[in-house]
Amino acid sequence: MTSVDLSNGPKSVPTPIIGTHAGLDSELEEKISVRNVNFYYGDNRALKSISVPLYSQRVTAFIGPSGCGKSTLLRILNRIYDLYPNQRAEGEVLLDGDNILDPAQDLNLLRARVGMVFQKPTPFPMSIYENIAFGIRLYDSLSKSELDGRVESALKRAALWTEVKDKLHANGLSLSGGQQQRLCIARTVAVQPEVILLDEPCSALDPISTAKIEELIEELKTDYAIAIVTHNMQQAARVSDYTAFMYLGELVEFDTTSKMFTSPVDTRTQDYITGRFG
Amino acid sequence: MPSRRMPVVDIALRDVPAVAATPPDRKRVLARLRLTNSSFRTLTLLASILVLVILGGVIIALIEGSLPALRQFGFGFLVSERWNPVTENFGALAPIYGTVVTSIIAMMIAVPFGLLIAVFLTELCPPWLRRPIGIAIELLAGIPSIIYGIWGLFVFAPFLQRTLQPALIDLFGPIPVLSTLFAGPPYGIGTLTAGLILAIMVLPFITSISRDVFEAVPPVLKEAAYGLGCTTWEVVRYVVIPFARVGVTGGVMLGLGRALGETMAVTFVIGNAHRISGSLLAPGTTISATIANEFTEALGDLYTSSLVALGLILFVITFFVLAIARYMLMRIERRIG
Repeated sequence: MTSVDLSNGPKSVPTPIIGTHAGLDSELEEKISVRNVNFYYGDNRALKSISVPLYSQRVTAFIGPSGCGKSTLLRILNRIYDLYPNQRAEGEVLLDGDNILDPAQDLNLLRARVGMVFQKPTPFPMSIYENIAFGIRLYDSLSKSELDGRVESALKRAALWTEVKDKLHANGLSLSGGQQQRLCIARTVAVQPEVILLDEPCSALDPISTAKIEELIEELKTDYAIAIVTHNMQQAARVSDYTAFMYLGELVEFDTTSKMFTSPVDTRTQDYITGRFG
Repeated sequence: MPSRRMPVVDIALRDVPAVAATPPDRKRVLARLRLTNSSFRTLTLLASILVLVILGGVIIALIEGSLPALRQFGFGFLVSERWNPVTENFGALAPIYGTVVTSIIAMMIAVPFGLLIAVFLTELCPPWLRRPIGIAIELLAGIPSIIYGIWGLFVFAPFLQRTLQPALIDLFGPIPVLSTLFAGPPYGIGTLTAGLILAIMVLPFITSISRDVFEAVPPVLKEAAYGLGCTTWEVVRYVVIPFARVGVTGGVMLGLGRALGETMAVTFVIGNAHRISGSLLAPGTTISATIANEFTEALGDLYTSSLVALGLILFVITFFVLAIARYMLMRIERRIG
């Protein structure tokens, strides 16, 4: 069994038959199925026939050298690439069985279901409270007390509540980098998505903040399907259940994290994980 | 040991032991460098001082020139509406009123339109249309004001007289306060027309500065907002504009400065009547229009001095607008932290 099994084609039954892990974990639910996806920046093909599943209540890490297409793949899953006119994706991405690449897909709804946290913290230019309440208000009209409750629970969820509860009306930008990133996670969680995409969420943070975020990811996965792009191999090993190794726009190997880091099948995976290149 | 704050070049040049140890031709080179350096520094200093000298000179000239008028009329100059060259009785209230009102009309129209255009250009415009519109706006800024003036007088004002002004008079006629504000007859030229021309003139400033600051909003911040499921309207309203408000305020103030001081186009279309009318459709005047119109026929020291005093008032108004703008920007910056 080498790399990814594509033999079942793009339109097959939505069961995870990728890699050798299938069946090991019987209650797995395939939340997102990426099938035969190609991605283009103008004429430049950045992703080549990628197929990969994202499971509910599991963390899937995407690793690989810079420019291999990890972030690009993530940006397809909530179609944020749609903001840029010369970028396009081909293939199928099924979210609960519906193809989100369908032009008729409601993008606002999709992005509410698939939340994203970016490499650099992106607090909006408003207060801490408003940063969270903002996203909630987009979808629900709540009373003041209900809204307060949702904001509090989101901040607690992101392990930020104790640090900010006395300064909820301070500007979001006044927080430290690590706090800002947790604020962004809280903001994403507050919208009650089903999938969370994390694009190198710790690369701008110090080790202590990183540890907090990793703990948080561990907590959050009980409710969500999580995809994380990371350059840090140890981080991938620590937080993820599944790991996908990408190289030059191709998915080289996908398997359980323990298998990927102990006995990878592809030599390129082995070389990358052991630090021989990348 | 040279002090820490000394520029690196100076440290190198004053390093005496190094000079002593070098051959004579290198000494000459160093001497020449030192000369270039000090003359360059003097030159930059002189250029900077020149600005202060000019500014100071203008202020002194304005104050000195307006002294006779201010001595004659005192504080009454500011609050009197009279403007009678025959009896040499002058008051600045009508031009001040006209200046302020035309500028307010201009900003009320140009700010929303400018922001809408800037949002369209940065967030919504298809790429092939972006350049043509951008260039058109810059060309709009490049049109000399005299051309706005003749266009305003011969084309725009008659057009308004036939279309917009009768419509406004009919529309607001039955409404108490607005009926006074838009009382007829439709002259074509007047305060409203001047305000509209000014709006067109300041629009490019507000648009291009807003566009630049909107473009400076980090894409990842916009992506984060779109990533929550925001619509374009929500992204612009809650993320782009709050993030860019400092720059937008700057652009608006620049536009306001231009509107307050604009002379030629306003002189053509405002009607040059020294009176304060309740109606925006009636002719009026502004400070700069009065000065431009009457300087050549100003006979007598008091008349001339009154015009210079008007200039001083305009100077003070623009100074305060700029100062308030600075203060607002400072406060916003401090609040953001």
